[in-house]
Amino acid sequence: MIVAKQKPFETIYGMVAPNKRIMLAGCGSCVTVCFAGGEKEVGILASLLRMRAQKDRKDLDVVEATIKRQCDVEFIDELKPKLDGVEAILSIGCGAGVQYIAERFGKTIVLPGLDTTFLGVTEAMGVWTERCQGCGDCKLHLTAGVCPIARCSKSLLNGPCGGSMNGKCEVSADTPCGWQLIVDRMEALGILDRYEQITPANDWTASRDGGPRRIDREDLHEIK
Amino acid sequence: MVEVPSEKMSPATTPVFEPRIVALLCHYCAFAAADMAGVMRLQHSPNIRVIRLPCTGKLDILYLLRAFEEGADGVMVAGCEEGSCHFVKGNLVAKRRVNFTKGLVAQVGIDPERLRMYNLSSSMGPRWAEISREMIEHVRSLGPSHLRREK
Amino acid sequence: MATLAINGITVTADEGATILEAAESAGINIPTLCRHRAMLPTGACRICMVRIEDARGPRLVASCVHPVQDGLKVETDTDDVREARRMVAELMLARCPDNAAVKEIARQTGVADAAWADRGEPDDCVLCGRCVEVCHDVMKVGAIDFNGRGSARTVRAPFDEASPVCQQCGACAFVCPTGKIRPDGLWGHRPGPLREPFEEGLGCRPTINRPFPSAVPSIPAIDRGNCVHFKTGQCGVCQKVCPAGAIDYDEAARERTLEVGAVVLSPGFRRFDPSGLGELGFGRFPNVVTSIQFERILSASGPTMGVVKRPSDGAHPRKIAFLQCVGSRDRRTHVYCSAFCCMQATKEAMIAREHDRGIDPTIFFMDIRAFGKGFESYFNRARTETGVRYVRSQVSSVKEVLGSRNLLLSWVDPVAGRRTDGEFDMLVLSVGAEPSPEGIALARKLGVALDEHGFCRGAPFEPVGTGVEGVYVTGMFSGPKDIPETVSQASAAAGAVASYLHEARGTEVSKREYPLQKDVASEEPRVGVFVCHCGINIAGTVKVEEVEKFARTLPGVAHVERSLFTCSQDSQQNIKKRIAEKGLNRVVVASCTPRTHEPIFQETLREAALNPYLFEMANIREHCAWVHQAVPDEATVKAMELVAMTVAKARMLGALQTTSIPVHREAIVVGAGIAGMTAALSLSGQGFVVHLVEREGELGGLGRRLRTTLRGGDVRAHATLLSDAVKRNDRIRLHTGAAPVSMGGHIGRFELALSTGAKVEGGVIVVATGGREHKPAHFLHGEHPRVLTQLEIEERGGVDVPDGGNIVMIQCVGSRVPERGYCSRVCCSQAVKNALAIKKKHPRAGVTVLYRDIRTYGLYEEAYRAAREAGVVFLRFEEDRQPDVASEGDRLSVIHHDAEFGANVMIAADWLVLSAAVEALPENRALGEVLKVPVMDDGFFLEAHAKLRPADFASEGIFVAGLAHGPKNADESIAQALAAAGRAGIILSHDTIEANAVVSRVDEEKCISCLTCVRICPYDAPAPRADGTVEIPAVKCQGCGLCAAACPGKAIQLGKFKDEQVEAMITAFGGRQ
Repeated sequence: MIVAKQKPFETIYGMVAPNKRIMLAGCGSCVTVCFAGGEKEVGILASLLRMRAQKDRKDLDVVEATIKRQCDVEFIDELKPKLDGVEAILSIGCGAGVQYIAERFGKTIVLPGLDTTFLGVTEAMGVWTERCQGCGDCKLHLTAGVCPIARCSKSLLNGPCGGSMNGKCEVSADTPCGWQLIVDRMEALGILDRYEQITPANDWTASRDGGPRRIDREDLHEIK
Repeated sequence: MVEVPSEKMSPATTPVFEPRIVALLCHYCAFAAADMAGVMRLQHSPNIRVIRLPCTGKLDILYLLRAFEEGADGVMVAGCEEGSCHFVKGNLVAKRRVNFTKGLVAQVGIDPERLRMYNLSSSMGPRWAEISREMIEHVRSLGPSHLRREK
Repeated sequence: MATLAINGITVTADEGATILEAAESAGINIPTLCRHRAMLPTGACRICMVRIEDARGPRLVASCVHPVQDGLKVETDTDDVREARRMVAELMLARCPDNAAVKEIARQTGVADAAWADRGEPDDCVLCGRCVEVCHDVMKVGAIDFNGRGSARTVRAPFDEASPVCQQCGACAFVCPTGKIRPDGLWGHRPGPLREPFEEGLGCRPTINRPFPSAVPSIPAIDRGNCVHFKTGQCGVCQKVCPAGAIDYDEAARERTLEVGAVVLSPGFRRFDPSGLGELGFGRFPNVVTSIQFERILSASGPTMGVVKRPSDGAHPRKIAFLQCVGSRDRRTHVYCSAFCCMQATKEAMIAREHDRGIDPTIFFMDIRAFGKGFESYFNRARTETGVRYVRSQVSSVKEVLGSRNLLLSWVDPVAGRRTDGEFDMLVLSVGAEPSPEGIALARKLGVALDEHGFCRGAPFEPVGTGVEGVYVTGMFSGPKDIPETVSQASAAAGAVASYLHEARGTEVSKREYPLQKDVASEEPRVGVFVCHCGINIAGTVKVEEVEKFARTLPGVAHVERSLFTCSQDSQQNIKKRIAEKGLNRVVVASCTPRTHEPIFQETLREAALNPYLFEMANIREHCAWVHQAVPDEATVKAMELVAMTVAKARMLGALQTTSIPVHREAIVVGAGIAGMTAALSLSGQGFVVHLVEREGELGGLGRRLRTTLRGGDVRAHATLLSDAVKRNDRIRLHTGAAPVSMGGHIGRFELALSTGAKVEGGVIVVATGGREHKPAHFLHGEHPRVLTQLEIEERGGVDVPDGGNIVMIQCVGSRVPERGYCSRVCCSQAVKNALAIKKKHPRAGVTVLYRDIRTYGLYEEAYRAAREAGVVFLRFEEDRQPDVASEGDRLSVIHHDAEFGANVMIAADWLVLSAAVEALPENRALGEVLKVPVMDDGFFLEAHAKLRPADFASEGIFVAGLAHGPKNADESIAQALAAAGRAGIILSHDTIEANAVVSRVDEEKCISCLTCVRICPYDAPAPRADGTVEIPAVKCQGCGLCAAACPGKAIQLGKFKDEQVEAMITAFGGRQ
């Protein structure tokens, strides 16, 4: 899932403060799972914004709306009937959702309430960690199912750097060394010899370096 | 002989701030303790409005925020003693939610001290009266919330 | 009937009623002071003045005495009335400037200050004469009267001396409106209070009282021995003031005959009265209390409201001593151990420290018997973390220190080995238990045999049997025990009865029929609000008329009405009538607590064809009227707000239905040791098919290896008896060599897949997988052939010791150590049992038991005594100085570091027997995961509640028994197995289970399967469905709402506590409807 977290409250408030009536749009997908932008968070943030505005003796009307997904126009269109008098939409979907809402409603200011952070998993209740960087050139079959791009701080492809200490990364003592994980798992699987194989440099053009990406499946196109 | 009105007889001139407090209580313990305080006629001032929950585990962060939005000067949550939750761990979850909410309300200018959680058992009628008085006095000392609505 | 006009409002009143009464019935307030419902009014204080106008023209009269008449015009709030009342108030205030009641009247009438100067000493008496009248007219005593004239007039007893006729009934004080008169002044000395037995005499109680706060039924009764009416025939005040008319002096005790198929004896115990042990000073020194009294002192609802105070002066004690074994383990009183007092003292010391950090508790003991589940770690916490001091010594004398009333104790210091004195502020005697004379008499009537102490022990392996068919025993009456064993035994007795009477089960149950519920989902809310006076309980403080008026203004309210007692039969009928005639579809009752009264009103709704969950209560009694008595105006505002909040919620209420699921009336029992087989046989005896799943190829478990119990029962024979019975039983399906590998379903129907490939289904599961003996890796065990564990020598059928030879036993091998922090409970008794057996076989052999504490709890203490009398030597070592064992050929030598002498003792031993710990099976963890039930760190299963639900898991429909739950002996395992079977049988005895109606439901549209609910639920109720959404089976949901409050998509709502309902209350709190 896409994992995100809310921006600092004062930042959000600073963005919406110039408006009298805003819509707070939540997304019922990934960001609901990571407790950043679902209906519950919409309720909490709306309440906080109203109270904060009252402190400044400002009028702020917050229209609360959570749709199933902000990355599909059919769902985004469900927001339309509630847009009456709304000066700005504060989306607490991921960056894709914010932009897609903006594309759909050309005349309304759309603001981001979240910092979209990574593709990851629920590690435990309340803990989410990164697993994938969307590099476009998956190498998990070479690295015992542990991604060197996402899990090594330096995205090294051929073994750890000198900063790997006691299985931890030099970046932080809480971060496991990605290569340690790879080696451990190779060992457990009895394929440690793969560690010896040299992985050629990544094709970063498939990643962000090749510009905005697009996937096009003609067979799925709508027939008009 | 000149009559001097005794001090005791002069009516108080400075109005005391009477806080409005919402109490979210667990049915199994705090609500029962409040009942017992009643049975024991343990007097305290009438500043608290009780809302009954089946367990403090039902406490939603939104309830706390709504109460402040509705102008509550203080919000108290009272659940079973730790380790004695009727539903195993509801009170422990509630404690975390209360602490989290303290951080939220601080961001909008509400003193997190206006929100408190207590733990007591159903047989602690006197303790309910005591924490009620304590909470009322505590919130009184904090003064009115900026969201207070005069009725 | 008379019709009159009060303030322009037409009021009808009974002929003979007073104007005041008529005004009250119309909700018109008139201030009163001297009026008292116990007596006829006399119009003495005249604060209730009103203006009337009749044929004689307008004039002011006292409304409390002036009768109503047809056509009378009354004004209660005109200038002249107010002026007259002010004058009265000013006069009273001049005389009583400091009296609270007079000041309140002054406030109500708008008098700020007395206009007249005091003529003398301020007084509290307004000379209304109510005290004189009640004494003379009601009590027919006449102990007091007016004396003197003018401003010197006072109420006194003749000659101002102590009255010889005063009966100290206190009626004068009861009716006095200003609190002036006190009966102790009249009688010459303070009347003795009526001691409250529930508070162990530390508190007092009124003549009319409830036996104790949680008594059932919670109805007050008159203490006839202390009631003036029952003693003199006079008084009758309670009957006059009770607005419900509930007092019936003629009510007499009734005898009833019940026809029953079985009897369960649970008469409990009596605490030992230490008055007979004069040297302890109980009854002579006020600061010596019993542990039960101290329990009350610690109780938040006790006589000191939980503040630790000592009786002599109410001071906060600092040093508190606890004396153990008072009335236990003592030849002069009772030789047995009372089993609970060590933990009780530990708990009391801990709680005392929690209440007051300044308290420094010391417990004087012989052995600390922390043998129960979790007790050892509690005891360790007490001594290492909480600062409770334990002194292993008997106190030889208790003296009171003159002046301070402190207590001077003497004892032999166990470390220094010499006499020590210490001063304590308070002394708590840990009194033991003894059978009650009532229990003994009851047992005799039923022909039940008792032991020499008066306990009803039953035969070995029959922990709830009495020897008389159809008569069972539970609790302390069968021997001293702690709460978990008592509860376990109680369920066991119920289970045994269920087996015994299984054919009659359900034959006398009648089902109530209700009218078909009306569907109100599409209707606009029409809320009926019923405001209760509760006599004067609510109406005495809260202005119920104003609450009524206010409720009418609330949106959605279709009907409002007040009644004297809303819970009375006729009021309930009235509610039903109003629901029908006004088309009400939601009902709010503003009265007392829903904890006691909600079910009553819900029943009324059902009878009126409404769903019972369309009901809500506002608690304006316990939470309002009773706790805000001094501020009626504010209390009224609060009551109105509570009603507004409740109505707001009521508008949002919807019908909730209980779901009923069919019960697969078969049981699954996992484990076929003594506990498992006992449970299986009990369940089959109750008429149910049982699937008995056993890991091993054979039945019997540990029972096959044990020989006898301390009480002489043959365990192996019993295990064989059980396994034969199991094999013969055609309702029991055996699955040997099988272990559960996965589970589906829930209470009512569990499906268990076994390792053999078989599948079994049952409505309930009993886990009785047993335990094992720890294999010691030290003390030469496994290396030397003559080093055995207790179980190993039992398996061998004992050992031969030559005359003059020696056998040494070491206790706590593998128990009470860091890796196994618990006490194994059975090993002390087991060692004593084996020691006695050896002594019997080889009287000339030496038997030495090396121990840390001897924990032969309860009646097993007798065997410990017998062992000492038989010459078994018990020597104690300290935790950190374990014995050392060496061998030379066949010969063993044990070096014991004696804790008492501080010296090392070398004992040559022919045999060394290790009392090895009872261990949990490692398989428990895997089984716990399959069944989704918790396993503790030490590997034993964790029950739902340590004290109150010892045989249940928190998950509905799964039960636990035997060693799988924790160390225990055969009798205790059997009791717990019967308990589990009894509890399980309750479920299986029904065709269907009615699930709670207040459950969490998932909105599939909103659910995004984040699994938060699955992870947070304490009961494992939510489960992902094939379509990805989560389902919460109503039968598994306990209705706590933890999931609903956690759901990030707001997809879960808990019935009766939906977000919109709770938020409506909060919005109403803010004044918005």
